[in-house]
Amino acid sequence: MRDIKVMAGNVAAVEMMRVEMLTGNVAAAWAARLADVDYIPAYPITPQTEIIETLAKWIGEGVMKAKLVQLESEHSMLTAAGTASLTGARVFTATSSQGLFYGFEMLYNISGWRAPLVLVNVSRGVAAPVTLEPDHNDVLAARDSGFLQFHAETCQDVLDLILLAYRVSEDRRVRLPSIVNMDGFYLSFTREPVNLPSQETVKDFLPPYTPTLPFRASRPVVKGASVLGGHIYTYFKHNIHESMRRAVEVFDEAARRYAELTGRLHKPVEGFCLEDAEYVLVMSNSFTTMGKRAVLKLRERGVPAGLVKIVMYRPFPSTQLVELLKNRRAVAVLDQNISLGMGGIIYQEVAGALYHQRNRPEILMSVIGGLGGKYISPEEFEYIFNALQHPEGREPNTPLFLFRKDELESVKKALGLAGLGGEMG
Amino acid sequence: MLKIRFHGRGGQGVKTSSRILGRAAFLDGFIAQDSPIYGAERRGAPVVSFTRISSTPITERGFIFDPDIVIVMDETLLNDWLARPLEGIKKGGAVFVNALSEFPPPEGHDDKLFITYDLTGRALEILGKPIISSPAAAAAAKITGLITKSSILEATAEELAELDLKDELVEKNIQLAAEVYDAISTPVINTQESGSITSEVSPLDYEPVSYEEVIHLDIVNLGNSALRRTGNWRIFKPIVDPQKCTGCLVCVVYCPDSCITLDENNKAVIDYDNCKGCMICLRECPLRAIYSVREVRVYA
Ligand code: SF4
Ligand code: SF4
Repeated sequence: MRDIKVMAGNVAAVEMMRVEMLTGNVAAAWAARLADVDYIPAYPITPQTEIIETLAKWIGEGVMKAKLVQLESEHSMLTAAGTASLTGARVFTATSSQGLFYGFEMLYNISGWRAPLVLVNVSRGVAAPVTLEPDHNDVLAARDSGFLQFHAETCQDVLDLILLAYRVSEDRRVRLPSIVNMDGFYLSFTREPVNLPSQETVKDFLPPYTPTLPFRASRPVVKGASVLGGHIYTYFKHNIHESMRRAVEVFDEAARRYAELTGRLHKPVEGFCLEDAEYVLVMSNSFTTMGKRAVLKLRERGVPAGLVKIVMYRPFPSTQLVELLKNRRAVAVLDQNISLGMGGIIYQEVAGALYHQRNRPEILMSVIGGLGGKYISPEEFEYIFNALQHPEGREPNTPLFLFRKDELESVKKALGLAGLGGEMG
Repeated sequence: MLKIRFHGRGGQGVKTSSRILGRAAFLDGFIAQDSPIYGAERRGAPVVSFTRISSTPITERGFIFDPDIVIVMDETLLNDWLARPLEGIKKGGAVFVNALSEFPPPEGHDDKLFITYDLTGRALEILGKPIISSPAAAAAAKITGLITKSSILEATAEELAELDLKDELVEKNIQLAAEVYDAISTPVINTQESGSITSEVSPLDYEPVSYEEVIHLDIVNLGNSALRRTGNWRIFKPIVDPQKCTGCLVCVVYCPDSCITLDENNKAVIDYDNCKGCMICLRECPLRAIYSVREVRVYA
């Protein structure tokens, strides 16, 4: 939850901001423009294309100075992004789902090279079956790659988190790339009011990027050399892990400065209605808005419900998360993803974080919902909280798969149309 | 358990050697394990492979740090600081060196037994190629004192057949392996299982959060690849006949290591510090102006 009250007293110090109706995609483009990026390698994929179209338009009009190049694939796009970043250019790029996977091997290279670029992923369920709507299997597949990850709930978050990501990524204590994630459709194509900080504010917030040992024609340097024999490899992986860990502090530092300038304070994990909350739902990204509404409704009825939103997914903010979840009666983790054959990905990580906490919640329930952008209705959110209050008889290691009767009817109809049993089969 | 480590160069048959020995041990009823390790695959680059032979289940894998027997398939490797073939050999162990002539144990290694035999010379005579997988395996087999002649010959036949070698060439390899097996006598290997082979455990610490900068995986030492002289990779040495060379530059273009230039008389000159002996120049020279001789540099 945005800590608006804390900042209210400071309102005079906060500049008057321009508010515009922006889609998540255009908010992302604005962030790149305000961050004064130098280079944008691109490759089109729905639902991300609007970001690049917007940037291309601005560059064409001459209101933005960056160089935008369309490559022949996401693999080339990410390669160009990483290498350009090593020359000292501030690099922005964006992709989605299959596109991210097509360039996937480069993610590990970019982090290993310590190229602090920002990549926006517009989440989209991964084929097959083909969909354009969001879930997080795409972005979570990159969780081990050495990219920091920030997940946006609103179009405003998209803009803010990209600016924060540049500052944290480029910080000499971190020097790692970032992924900022937004949900396809629910944010990418959804317009809502977004505060646009001024160019001066962003300049103040974001110091210029000064690369370490950049590529220069006159001064050769090998980046990411081969290191046969596992000990050198281990040493560098440990060093990346260590820089990741440090990123939590660096993020907090940056977020405090950002709040001073804009009045919006971001945290790695945010609590909503947590005072005296006994039943807590952990989730992330755009559906959190709907989760919060469900919590408020339950509160009206006297149910001590609360919500925790994970904003920073890598590094994983275990300490902060445990702080918010300890002493609760029952916690549900809503995963908008599925590790097939295992269950919810974030559920496993929350469970791991809580394991050593003595007063951890007795019930930790796994819920899968919103796959391929499947809507989660108020009734489904309520169902989760009901299950938390009455966990009897529920197999703890089996996730609750949200689904509705009308959806089942619709599936049957579709199967029929496909010629597989059902009404027309 | 007996641990045998093979050191050679890409193209000599190092991996096949360890496999022939592994299979022979298997045929003789032992429990065996064989494996190679190599970096970027390049002809001439140092390669290592391993064979473990035991009468009880083998509970180790990977690199052999403390071999009982080392087979050095190219004597020029003895002073290669990256390959370090003599490192870690147990006291009382044996070292076989493929060399033209015998030499005394190098400094610090007089507690080991050195055995030499000119495998490359014999391979050139019998096979017409400097590939010594089968004679090196036969030498190792005999030195172990565990492997029968019939098994090493059968293993040679089976392994080489798997590589699609022509029957005639397999036959010649068997002949060569038999010769080497008979020529070498089994030494007394008197090694003890060494306890610890690495230094103490020291897990990586986490730096305090105030730690200022990250450690970059960069190489900034300019031109340090020039320090890696590849001249000692050669098994054969290309020699330009100035009488025939017309200075056409073909070899200059083809040399993958850029070590040929033309001198003031327009004749090709080879930089032997870096020529790795791949013989591409010899094959490409349109005037057949390049010939080869066997590289002989006895370990000093
Ligand atoms: S290819 Fe032959 S003839 Fe031509 S320069 Fe080289 S050695 Fe001389
Ligand atoms: S092409 Fe000739 S000179 Fe060049 S590395 Fe090979 S053998 Fe040596």
